[in-house]
Amino acid sequence: MPISAQWRGWALAALVVVGLLVPFFIQDTYLRHLFIISYIYGVVAASWDLSLGYAGVFNFGHVAFFGVGVYATGLTAKLLGIDPWIAIVIGGVAASAVAAVIALPVVRLQGVYVVLVTFAFSQLILQLVISQSQFTGGTQGMVRVPTLRLPGYNFLRDYKFGYYYVAFALLVLTTICLRRIVRSDFGLSLKALRDNEDYGVSRGIPIGLQRLKVLVASAFFTGIAGGFYVVYLRVASPEVFDFSTASLVLSMVLVGGTSSIYGSIFAALGLTFISEGLANINGLGEGRFMLVAVAMVIVLLFLPKGLASLFTLKARGRPSLEGKISGKF
Amino acid sequence: MTADTISAIIVSGLVLGSVYALMASGLSMIWTTLGIFNFAHGALMTLGAYVAWTISNSAGLGLGLAAGIAVSIAALIGAGILIERIVVRPFYDDRDILLITVMTTLATMIFLEKGIQLIWGARLKQLPPIIAGKVQLFRTTISAQETLIIVVAPLLLGALWLFLRHSRIGRGIRAVGQNPDAARLIGIDVSRLFITTFAMSAVLAGLTGVLLGSVRLLTPDFGDEPLVKALIIVIFGGLGSLSGTIVAAYLMGIVEAALTFFIGIYWAPSIVFLLLIIVLLFRPQGLMGKVAR
Repeated sequence: MPISAQWRGWALAALVVVGLLVPFFIQDTYLRHLFIISYIYGVVAASWDLSLGYAGVFNFGHVAFFGVGVYATGLTAKLLGIDPWIAIVIGGVAASAVAAVIALPVVRLQGVYVVLVTFAFSQLILQLVISQSQFTGGTQGMVRVPTLRLPGYNFLRDYKFGYYYVAFALLVLTTICLRRIVRSDFGLSLKALRDNEDYGVSRGIPIGLQRLKVLVASAFFTGIAGGFYVVYLRVASPEVFDFSTASLVLSMVLVGGTSSIYGSIFAALGLTFISEGLANINGLGEGRFMLVAVAMVIVLLFLPKGLASLFTLKARGRPSLEGKISGKF
Repeated sequence: MTADTISAIIVSGLVLGSVYALMASGLSMIWTTLGIFNFAHGALMTLGAYVAWTISNSAGLGLGLAAGIAVSIAALIGAGILIERIVVRPFYDDRDILLITVMTTLATMIFLEKGIQLIWGARLKQLPPIIAGKVQLFRTTISAQETLIIVVAPLLLGALWLFLRHSRIGRGIRAVGQNPDAARLIGIDVSRLFITTFAMSAVLAGLTGVLLGSVRLLTPDFGDEPLVKALIIVIFGGLGSLSGTIVAAYLMGIVEAALTFFIGIYWAPSIVFLLLIIVLLFRPQGLMGKVAR
């Protein structure tokens, strides 16, 4: 049985209140840090869900958009001395611009070629970052990125209190925007194209344009998250383009269930805490990624609609991803 | 441009091309037969090299390189079969098999790479060359091992081609690739051929690893770069054609060698990726490819 809309509204409001109160109950800097990181992952996973789950564009370069945000913000803030608040927005815009470029070939491609090109593209960005080491620090990474500033407030001396709220605001705003997008006519047209491309096109939906728009939109939020990430951590390394980062975020989308926005966010929260918790257990520093990989396969094997499907009981017969991310395939 | 330069570019292009051709043909084989894309292919290559290292190196078992290669081949047959069984087979009836297996093989890749890092650590390792010494090729001097790569790759690929063309199993593999239902109807054991294909492709990856493991240093992410290159090659060559893949691999090797020579090692990969995106704008099915199946 689906939960009624009114109930859901109250539940979400309650969650926001809980989220706002968290820093008052949790004084520990490391725990607050985990919350901040999980909110960032939540934004990245949820916006990947927009292009992957709702639009069915099998974009594997999503983590590259995050990397573009990281480096665009880091470089403009550090080298050009732009205020970090503005630099974060620049990160989002840069990621969107890059998404528009990659959309040019992607909207014309079919099937597995989308996967391959977006993969190759994320490697292109990685190579660019490594080759421009005089600016980006190359494989060594970029250090001493300026931190956020507000008049009369010091973000470095408050035990991550301020950063928590910035991250939380980012997550809430992104969620609201993403929900509005998927419930708008635009979102409906994306779903129509995903579920039945031929029918959607014959009803006059401009498929190339819609896919371009969805890539640009999902890259924007991801880029902002990347920008915030680098300003918060104050360092950036090419590891953000790594296959393991991509698979970690992908596992969040899958565990949460595709085309559910909220699901990815909760999965991001849960998985960040689990994987960080495991990282502290001796010898599991690398092993946790193995566990994440196993979790991904198990979810795909037994719960193709994500853990959320455990609660809805709507699925009948052999569960499959039918229409969920089939899109172009 | 002197003759020396041309010779240097061609020789290093041939080495690169041979490695790429071995990698990409394994990917291409799985694609034609099963219609899926194996992202764990690069990790299998790494696994092959590490297993050979453990058996042959004195810090490991010290049994010599021949034993190392033999065990490595056996291990990869096992790994190929396991991957097919665990992360591919359950999804054969799913209409989204392509997408799901992209994710499951990606998970497999992470699992293997991190597992390799746990077992062998991050410290650099190197396999002993199969043949030591230097060889003069045209006007360029390269190591004997690199010459071996240039010689062995076409032999392996030729053997693969003959096998697919003339042997009973090979023809079965191609039949399944063209039409699995019809193949099943005439009595071909499709499921066994899928396993055979996976095992063969894994062995190809492992051999690439063994050959390359004495030229480059072994790290847990040793296979990433060749995998990405192989991805690009199968896009360029058009998926599903072994000959197209091999031609594209050698072309790519030469182009990359030339680019590295003229514009430097840092910019060369970026230009290659850019070329790829431009090509795909005009020929979405790849340079030599037919429309995807």
